[in-house]
Amino acid sequence: MREYADLRDGAVSAIGRLTAAGQDIIVMVADSTSTSKIGAFMKDYPERVINVGIAEQNMVGMAAGLALGGHIVFTANAAPFLVGRANEQVKNDVCYSATNVKMLGLNAGVAYGPLASTHHAIDDISIMSGFGNVQIFAPCDEVEVAQMIDYAASFDGPVYIRLDNAKFPVVHDASYRFEPGRPDVLIEGSRVAVIALGSVVGEALDACEAVQKESGIAPTLVNLSSLRPLDQDALASIIERHDSVVTVEEHSLHGGIGATVALLMARRQIARPLKTLGITEGEFAHYGTRKGIRQHYGIDAAGIANAIRAQCAN
Amino acid sequence: MENPFKQSGDALHRRAQEIRKKICVMNATAKSGHTGGDMSEADILAALYFHVLRYETDANRSVRWHDEFILSKGHGVGGLYACFAELGWLPDTELLTYLKDDSRLPGHPVRQKLPGWVTVNTGGLGHGLPIAAGLAMAKQRHAAQHQGATGRVFVLTGDGELEEGSNWEAAMAAAHFELSNLVVIVDRNRLQLADFTHNIMDLDPLDEKFRAFGFEVHDVNGNQSDAIWKLMESLDYDNRKPKVVIAHTIKGRGVSFMENVPAWHHKFPDEDQLQQALKELDHA
Repeated sequence: MREYADLRDGAVSAIGRLTAAGQDIIVMVADSTSTSKIGAFMKDYPERVINVGIAEQNMVGMAAGLALGGHIVFTANAAPFLVGRANEQVKNDVCYSATNVKMLGLNAGVAYGPLASTHHAIDDISIMSGFGNVQIFAPCDEVEVAQMIDYAASFDGPVYIRLDNAKFPVVHDASYRFEPGRPDVLIEGSRVAVIALGSVVGEALDACEAVQKESGIAPTLVNLSSLRPLDQDALASIIERHDSVVTVEEHSLHGGIGATVALLMARRQIARPLKTLGITEGEFAHYGTRKGIRQHYGIDAAGIANAIRAQCAN
Repeated sequence: MENPFKQSGDALHRRAQEIRKKICVMNATAKSGHTGGDMSEADILAALYFHVLRYETDANRSVRWHDEFILSKGHGVGGLYACFAELGWLPDTELLTYLKDDSRLPGHPVRQKLPGWVTVNTGGLGHGLPIAAGLAMAKQRHAAQHQGATGRVFVLTGDGELEEGSNWEAAMAAAHFELSNLVVIVDRNRLQLADFTHNIMDLDPLDEKFRAFGFEVHDVNGNQSDAIWKLMESLDYDNRKPKVVIAHTIKGRGVSFMENVPAWHHKFPDEDQLQQALKELDHA
């Protein structure tokens, strides 16, 4: 039986632990105290949470100013409003100005399923990747997010971390060590390399286990949690050891991990059949339950298992 | 910590005029630059760097800031570079590299190019005020924690720039968080790229707008450096209210044929105009 946990709990408790250890952290929210589950931290450190109201541009601008004043600043608000509304502040005030701001993109992908496209963030990785000077991470579980927060606080510069409001299976044990750049191999298998992004790693894990059960052969499963930096050699060598590749993301196929993997394979002339699963390029995502949306785009366990089977049949 | 110059009167006015001369030479050489806005802000920069801002410099021109300055109107960077040269931080010869390949002096300020002197990379409009608010808050927190004097943050915005909504988000926050050590200086030259501000988007009554947002509002002749520092010295930086200083300026100030002419927003002097400008600036 798997244990499930909310990424936000992992993030917030890590921020609390670092603060207790003496790190000068400030958390900024844009009326997003409940979205970020920051309440427990706020109770311990009320003076370290700054709520600017529904004003994302000002949240990011002030975060940059507070960072210039020597604080380690985390922003915590819904990903669509961070990358959309505060886009130029993220670009100029944080990334270009190299201020020490860690941006938590909450409820990314289609976490807000039925609330529809104003609230979806299927472009956050793509948009952040377009900016220079920002490290980009997408944790898959509570253990990993806590380690990412540790790293982000110790690193002097802009970081984006893609978060979620769902409970995800805890796939790492306490001995796991997040290393920026390193593709995290969850299952060392053969034939098909499945490369998954954050929120759908759990779905991919179910798919891999289902395929193994029916065929006796386990695919390899890679949790691509560090998108920038990314150890391209390590990822290329994983791909080269397999006959085919499946990428999975709750993100547009434009500028997500499918595109990253395709570019890497083209550059390195690694000729393997590649199936990219994600939100259709050039479309807003469907709205509805998250389960239904994932099913529609084939990024649920059943859809991923089908893609693996199809690659095996190639 | 104090301002290392504390200049006033004619000495301070000469600083502003020298900054203007450098702007004219720099923009004439670059055959580009935002001459009008560079010229309108010269007295404000002179008053800040040569009288108001509290900082220390060492022999390597490395600066330790007690107060800080943010140029929100990043396109007015020519004035800032000229001011750095007047401070002796940049050689005059380096000003001639403005906008050229591999120069440390691009068309908007870049802190990585002039570390320690440029606070933050501006250029997109409506960015300086939110950043300044954050920095002012950090300075308040720092002072409270260390029981020291609170550093002040001065941010210079254009007036057309106030059409950007982000300024008003930050204005609301500055009052809410009682950032009394924050001073917004509006370079009120009444001109923006396309035309006079009142023809594009009327900002008036600007004082009432800021007052309604919870600011303490002051007006000053922004082309009189003495009036500027005197006002800054008279302010109560502990009264829980952010300040706005509406600095009434003339775009292209100091050179007869540039003053109040919209075309000089983004125009540079030719050789004859440069000589004429330098002559006028020496004699005024």
